[in-house]
Amino acid sequence: MAYIFGIPLLIVLAILQTTVFADIHFFDGRPDIVLLAVVAWGLCGGDRQAMIWGLIGGLLLDSFSGLPLGSSAINLIIIAYFVSLYAGRVWEANLLMPIGIGLVASLFFHLQALVWLFAMGRQIDLPFSFGRVILPSTILNMILILPTYQVMLGMYRRLYPPEVEI
Amino acid sequence: MRRTSPRAIFAGTLILIAVAIAVLQFSGYFAPVTSAFMRPVTALQSWFAIRYVAVRDLLASPSDMASMRAEIDRLQAENALLQQEIIALREQASEAEVLAALLDYARAQPASRYLASNVIGRDVSPFIRSILIGQGSDAGVAVGMPVVTAQGLVGRVEEVFASYARVQLVTDPETAVNVKFQQARTEGILSARLNGEIFVDLIDLNAELSEGELVLTSGLGGKYPPDIPVGAVTSIRRRDFDLFQDATIQSSVDFEELSLVLVITNFEPLILESISP
Repeated sequence: MAYIFGIPLLIVLAILQTTVFADIHFFDGRPDIVLLAVVAWGLCGGDRQAMIWGLIGGLLLDSFSGLPLGSSAINLIIIAYFVSLYAGRVWEANLLMPIGIGLVASLFFHLQALVWLFAMGRQIDLPFSFGRVILPSTILNMILILPTYQVMLGMYRRLYPPEVEI
Repeated sequence: MRRTSPRAIFAGTLILIAVAIAVLQFSGYFAPVTSAFMRPVTALQSWFAIRYVAVRDLLASPSDMASMRAEIDRLQAENALLQQEIIALREQASEAEVLAALLDYARAQPASRYLASNVIGRDVSPFIRSILIGQGSDAGVAVGMPVVTAQGLVGRVEEVFASYARVQLVTDPETAVNVKFQQARTEGILSARLNGEIFVDLIDLNAELSEGELVLTSGLGGKYPPDIPVGAVTSIRRRDFDLFQDATIQSSVDFEELSLVLVITNFEPLILESISP
């Protein structure tokens, strides 16, 4: 069921990423809404689904990018795997943990992208990339992770209502 | 011995699938699948992008009113000057036509054929400066075709799919364009810094450049047709102990506001690999 609404949702998010969110700048950083959706779904408890979302979402992102097809997919699958290790454990205990997970996931996502670009032979300027792209993007992602999580949690509970003993 | 968790096996399997797709794409076998899947997605994206740009422009317009009025005044003044210039140039044109016919100049420079396309998105990676256009190989777009607007050079087609293409902007650090300065009649190589700022390097140290001077493509190297405006000089760095001077350029195209571009379809870029022994 999660795939029936997940795939169209990822297509819409990827389109939004290339249009609306491409115009939202903080320095040269932009929010990564496909990444946020994968992380949030993983935090909700849909661990395997989040990995599948990572594969599909990553392939969609790579289709709209100069990065090699599959690179973002691998990044997102790895992120979804590590997020799944914390799923369902941290949210109740500490409200700041999703922000922390968003921070680590965002840094990892962009650093991996830099590694791919380096492997492609493109010139990399680490101070510029950190100061102008990675940190601003990470800040935007940290701001957006909480509302994204709330939306995804609402969807998750609608799809998988918690069982109640009567 | 420690057992690998099913979750890790699942993640590993998905990574292997992604790697397999990457290999298939690299070898060209996955392109039909990508094209088939992306066709409806691109159609949806084109539909959305056109409406989004319209809404964005509508929302941005009130704040632009004052600057637009000032711009209209400035353009009207410039128009009056240009009208005078046109009259003078028309007189020279008839003479030039005869000369051009004699030199068979027109044959050497056939008029460019253009294919208009909407900009349907931007590269999702903030490290790559490219745009997505809503025309692909179905419409005759091919890798290497130059992309322009009425203002000047935008970039060149880098990747083509059936229903869309990716255009590498001149502001991408991987871009290199052979250019010439209109007045100084000297040449150089235009590149971009990582922040998107463009500059021309390898300019003859003896060349007399001036701020505001127009920079055009030179056509050297065969990647771009000649005489496409690229921008204007904003600052010059010239040091006597250097071998060359360089100049920072203000592009004539506003890359943030791109919504429609023209692909030059009858230009065949020179592929250097194909002529090497």
